Amino acid sequence: MADDILSTIIGTPTGTTVVTVERGQLALFADAVKDPDPVYRDPRAAADAGLPGIPAPPTYPFVMGNFGVYAELQPADAPSGNPMGAVLGPLMAKGGLILHGEQEFTYHRPVFAGDVLEGKGSVVDAYQKESKGKTMTFVVVETAWSDPATGEPVCTSRMNIIHRI
Amino acid sequence: MGNGPGTAREREDQEMTDAVLYFEDVSEGDEGPTLTHVLTRTDLVAYAGASGDYNPMHHDEVKATAAGQPSVFGHGMFSMGLLGTAITRYVGAGNVTRFTVRFARQTWPDEELRSSIVVTGKRTEGDLHLIDLDVRLRNADGEEKVVGEATAKVPAKA
Repeated sequence: MADDILSTIIGTPTGTTVVTVERGQLALFADAVKDPDPVYRDPRAAADAGLPGIPAPPTYPFVMGNFGVYAELQPADAPSGNPMGAVLGPLMAKGGLILHGEQEFTYHRPVFAGDVLEGKGSVVDAYQKESKGKTMTFVVVETAWSDPATGEPVCTSRMNIIHRI
Repeated sequence: MGNGPGTAREREDQEMTDAVLYFEDVSEGDEGPTLTHVLTRTDLVAYAGASGDYNPMHHDEVKATAAGQPSVFGHGMFSMGLLGTAITRYVGAGNVTRFTVRFARQTWPDEELRSSIVVTGKRTEGDLHLIDLDVRLRNADGEEKVVGEATAKVPAKA
């Protein structure tokens, strides 16, 4: 894939999603990452830990956009299009493997059960390099989660996806 | 995993989370508690459901082997999640301010995964008391699966 195609997706939005963070989903996720801490299940335990509500485990923001996405809460003017698909689709058609190379979270405050949060994604970098006879295509997507009611930033998730062939 | 009175292991976990980590008690080179877990296919099915990541490479043995993999393999984010569990057990839930990793190798069913958390520094930024951590997940042979860093704000006594 020509570098000029990659450079055209840098800065393009990947979508805006409004999610409702639900208590049951947080407990289920804590189970899945082997965390028995009652703070994720019982508001009394969360209060004992000095927290205003049941928090999300630290990697939950990565999957947050997959749950509690209700049609009536979605912004009408959300950008459409899928720059990830535009780049990775043609690459996947040739075969190869998609890998998660790196992941970073910056937390401004914990995510809590009951939060309604807005995530805005964008491609922040895209590049290609050759390594050990393989072509590696890197796409970096950043999702900024905030509270749409106050504008307060909550968490930024930065994902580096690699296509290797 | 139940939420009842639980096993001895769960009670021990409870005690560990109840112990508050104070800034004054942390020194560079300190190690957090080690979490160990033997990865099962059931873990991957549970993580698929709880995360919404249904990539068949993580739960469908037939598709994974057809794609040239020796078996299903773990979601990178399951490994990072397990490491997150180890970190919050040390610093307390809700206290992590930054968590970044590189996924070094795939994880495989029946591997024992072990967390390693080492304090690399402590500093004060305004009112915040921060500790920096080197965080890793390895298998029993010491092979690194996930390598990264985390920062947490912890309470001070004074």
